[in-house]
Amino acid sequence: MAVSVWASSSSTIPSSKYNNLFAAAAAASSSSFSNSSSLKFPLQRLPITWVCSPSPSPSRPRLLPLVKAKKQTFSSFDDLLTNSDKPVLVDFYATWCGPCQFMAPILNEVSTQLRDTIQVVKIDTEKYPSIANKYKIEALPTFIIFKDGEPYDRFEGALSADQLIQRIENSLKVKQ
Amino acid sequence: MMTTTTLQVQAQASSSFAIRIPSSSFTSPLTRSPHRFVVRAAVDPSEKSIEIMRKFSEQYARKSGTYFCVDKGVTSVVIKGLADHKDSLGAPLCPCRHYDDKPAEAGQGFWNCPCVPMRERKECHCMLFLTPDNDFAGKEQTISLDEIRETTANI
Repeated sequence: MAVSVWASSSSTIPSSKYNNLFAAAAAASSSSFSNSSSLKFPLQRLPITWVCSPSPSPSRPRLLPLVKAKKQTFSSFDDLLTNSDKPVLVDFYATWCGPCQFMAPILNEVSTQLRDTIQVVKIDTEKYPSIANKYKIEALPTFIIFKDGEPYDRFEGALSADQLIQRIENSLKVKQ
Repeated sequence: MMTTTTLQVQAQASSSFAIRIPSSSFTSPLTRSPHRFVVRAAVDPSEKSIEIMRKFSEQYARKSGTYFCVDKGVTSVVIKGLADHKDSLGAPLCPCRHYDDKPAEAGQGFWNCPCVPMRERKECHCMLFLTPDNDFAGKEQTISLDEIRETTANI
């Protein structure tokens, strides 16, 4: 199974409440890591949104760091976890789950603020039920912090940006 | 005998496509309606089900003494989610949960809205029905179809 990871391209203050992170496709620049030549089956895109950390800003001073879109292809979700140099916050969501959509702009903000601490990834549980089943996901949204490829912390429900940052920092015992 | 239909696909500035399907002698759900079909990334539930779930949400909020979220977008998304499950499963299964077997769950009923946790303890993790003490609870128990459309326009 091939996994494509899309980053959102957005400023830290979203223009609309429900940022459609998949719409970032239009602005995305891509780099492919997958060994697609060895695949017998068609490359399957995992609609994971990888909310990327902002790149260092150029000489022009900027008030808000821009999050560059980045599309990466992995051969599986496990591969994605193994290849990450930082802990990964995975958001298991569904399209028509209200609190999940509510969290979209909050995740953008948290990803920017904690850019050196954690990588944020979203998984659509309806498109990838096997991954959701593997981690026994029930209520949505469920957040799992993966460290070294293994689940490290897990919590459910919507929360504010401050609460989420607090939770992540406490969990990883990293103070900003 | 089926007459050939010509599909005109127009790419618009937005990410949606308009497909005009002229009526033909072959009856299909697509050709019954004279309206144009707009294909979006997430397929919308039927208008009829949205209206049913909208009315249900208003009635149940009144009946249970609960209120909609300050952010009506959350309410709208959940109403659409309920409508979507009503269309596909025949019952409004809770959209804020992951299931192993959706039809089995819809048949069993525990998570059909209003779910057992809501009926017993007024617990709605979808943030659809919020008790007045909840931080996210607004003051309204009504939501219009326009509000639903506007707040879910870009999903």
